[in-house]
Amino acid sequence: MISSDHEKPLACWISKDLYQDEVLNSLTVIFRTGGCAWDRCTMCGYRHERYHGLSGSDLTARLLSQIAWVMAAFDKDRYQMVKIFTSGSFFDPDEVPEPARLAAAEAFSGKVIIAETRPEYVDAERLGAVLEAADTGAWDRPLYVAMGLETTNDQIREKCINKGFTFEDFKHAAAVSHQSGAGVKAYLLMKPLFLTEREALEDMHHSIQEAAPFSDLISMNPCTVQSRTDLERFWRQRAYRPPYLWSVLDALIRADPHVTCDPVGGGKMRGPHNCRHCDREIVDGIRTYSLTGDRGLLDALMEIDCSCKREWEYLLEEEMPSWMPLTR
Amino acid sequence: MSLYEVRKRDGCARIGLFRHGDQEITLPAVVDTDDLFPSLRQQRFTNVPLGAGADFVRAYHIRGEGQPAAVHPAIENVVSSGDCVMVSNWHTALADPDKYVKWLIRLKESIPPDTAWYAPASALPGTLCMLVYSGFDLFDFRAVDLRSVQGIFCTPLGEFPGEVMDEGLCGCEGCRQGDLHLHNRLAVQSEAALVRNYIRSSHLRELMESRCRADSSQVAVLRRLDTHYPYMERRLPVVRNVSMLANSAESLNRTEVRRFAERVTDRFAPSRTDVAVLLPCSAGKPYSTSQSHRKFIATVAKRAHELIVTSPLGLVPRELEGVYPAAHYDVPVTGYWDREELAFASEVIARYFARHRYSRVIAHLDGGSRTAAEMAAEICGIDLEVTCRGHPASGESLRSLAGSLEGEPGKQTDMVRGVISWQFNEVIATSGMYIRGRGERQAVMRGKVQVFSVDAGTGLLRPTFEGWKMLGRGYRVLIDDFIPQGDVLAPGVTDADCSIREGDEVYVCGRMAEATGRAVMGADEMLRSGRGVAVRLRKVKKL
Repeated sequence: MISSDHEKPLACWISKDLYQDEVLNSLTVIFRTGGCAWDRCTMCGYRHERYHGLSGSDLTARLLSQIAWVMAAFDKDRYQMVKIFTSGSFFDPDEVPEPARLAAAEAFSGKVIIAETRPEYVDAERLGAVLEAADTGAWDRPLYVAMGLETTNDQIREKCINKGFTFEDFKHAAAVSHQSGAGVKAYLLMKPLFLTEREALEDMHHSIQEAAPFSDLISMNPCTVQSRTDLERFWRQRAYRPPYLWSVLDALIRADPHVTCDPVGGGKMRGPHNCRHCDREIVDGIRTYSLTGDRGLLDALMEIDCSCKREWEYLLEEEMPSWMPLTR
Repeated sequence: MSLYEVRKRDGCARIGLFRHGDQEITLPAVVDTDDLFPSLRQQRFTNVPLGAGADFVRAYHIRGEGQPAAVHPAIENVVSSGDCVMVSNWHTALADPDKYVKWLIRLKESIPPDTAWYAPASALPGTLCMLVYSGFDLFDFRAVDLRSVQGIFCTPLGEFPGEVMDEGLCGCEGCRQGDLHLHNRLAVQSEAALVRNYIRSSHLRELMESRCRADSSQVAVLRRLDTHYPYMERRLPVVRNVSMLANSAESLNRTEVRRFAERVTDRFAPSRTDVAVLLPCSAGKPYSTSQSHRKFIATVAKRAHELIVTSPLGLVPRELEGVYPAAHYDVPVTGYWDREELAFASEVIARYFARHRYSRVIAHLDGGSRTAAEMAAEICGIDLEVTCRGHPASGESLRSLAGSLEGEPGKQTDMVRGVISWQFNEVIATSGMYIRGRGERQAVMRGKVQVFSVDAGTGLLRPTFEGWKMLGRGYRVLIDDFIPQGDVLAPGVTDADCSIREGDEVYVCGRMAEATGRAVMGADEMLRSGRGVAVRLRKVKKL
């Protein structure tokens, strides 16, 4: 067996997040795990990052080693919030065995923990155990269950993402979370495959409205083209273009609740982008908005005078499912 | 209900009439398709990319009600004659020439030919020729309108920043008014008009070879299509009565060129196979009308079989010098043969001599044509006797040629037998036949009976009923029980010899009538179309 003494997470960093009107330092950890059991979403490249063929106890050992690395590398005083990603589901016992999950909860106790999972693994007992290990009484809501709902439209989630669960599944998992004393964070995906710019924008608008009653936090992810995905294959065939940053702005402006957004890959061909001239200013502005909730900033960004805005407006009117995408 | 009828073909391109509702449009054309097909704007969530897998396409592809019929290359499509076929997202296909050609062929081979083909959001002044050459007919303004919004000035040979409009690059109404939107729309419409006229004059290939230069993808599509010989050959007229300009490297790979050569090596029956003399080509066509060839003919004095070595056709037997494209091609003459030309010509010559074992082969050639002959001799293992001393038409060369032919028996060149073999893949007995008349009105007689007439424009022979009796069972079109008047329409055809191409002379037979005529479409189209003229008749006999 390969030694598990020096396992590191796939990635780990500290950034800032707005939480209950306060900007917190947040630690993001992406653990390497047994991997996502579903493993077939069209846009997901994280699913390739996994241990192959480990027994439960070996997997637990690797995860404990990763947790130990994080605790050693980042002083616990430096952050108040932890966002745990596993490239799959933190609450899937095959992917993250219970001892490792509880060890993580204990390690990050006293912090606001946001852990990502598919809804089918949201189980009152499992949530209770994590809450018990993590809750120090420091926060009203020490745990948030984060789910990649992506859209509230089941047809789009099925055809364009191949996500394998429904809005009802999400709502059920949200109810279980709330009953267990955990909060709910919804991730929404702006512009998956097979949608025109307008369809994507309208879908995001509706999804925010419809997800809000079941979600305490909403984060919008403008779609990026990751390696070794169906999405990448279609992108190479010019059958896909990531969303315009104008669309991202428009969705944020029209959102009633505060929706956070980190436009990963913003301004790049593989990420949400406009025309290269106005991208940086808008990406920076969206990041600032996520931390401040300053809607005046969004309105100001939308007023930026760039020629690509006319192109975007033209596309909203003229791009149709039988002739898309019209731009790169 | 809609109708589409092809009126003129040029390879895969067509001019046709499309009728939908109360609108009647001559295609190819760029039109406002929102007017024509209002339902297209109602689409929601129906996107299926061209590269999607068959399972996904079967699950999500929607044909749409009525017109147009959306189609996808991964599935069997539900399309009827007369429909407008919309190949969704075709504007993304040009990015991958390999797939462009595969998808196009798969769709074209499985969908009835008498359908109008719509490529949405694809037409630009720079892409329209390629699209029509590929077999698309109907276009919209979306791609040019997008360019206008982006401030891009479109021309058939490239795109520029909108500011160039002030430079007098174009004098259209839009440019005069400083209206980029109008200029771009007029530019794509003007290109459509140009393309229509090239189809009318049967020269679209020449325009395509010129238009593709600004875009490597288009060159790649052109070249890849040429490699699909059976697909292209079925769609090509057997002959034309216009010039064939072989002005680019791609001209060498034209289907016309390969087909002519294949028929020379596989079908053609030479007048004699004892002594061959290889001669250089001439600028004047047919060769025998040129000064140099008059000298060659006088010198040879029927003592050898004359074969002309030429690029790009390879080898033209004297019997076939009037047949398209031998009498119709024009090439830039520099005296230099590049390696592609040498390889092609030498291979044709070698195949010919491997099939017909002459006892003597005289190469009255110099320069590139001689090199081609020498390469061919090497390939097929024959000896060449070189008679050229300097220029082939010089006195010394001609004396040398005459000397080498001394004592060889004279024999008439049998044009009729040669052309018939090339045209119908049949060898007929021609004893007793003679040609009457001159110029445009030549007739082939046997005794007092006319058996063929010569089509001076194309070089083909037109059999009379008597002529057809001499030919076998090929080139027949079977029709239903009716007496045709003037034309046979595609739905009246019950069967057709699969070797029939547009422009071929055909024998029409049914239980109630027989007729002679010329095919207006290839056999494949006759059998798969529900509309259009299949055969233009010359003579009809009731039975």
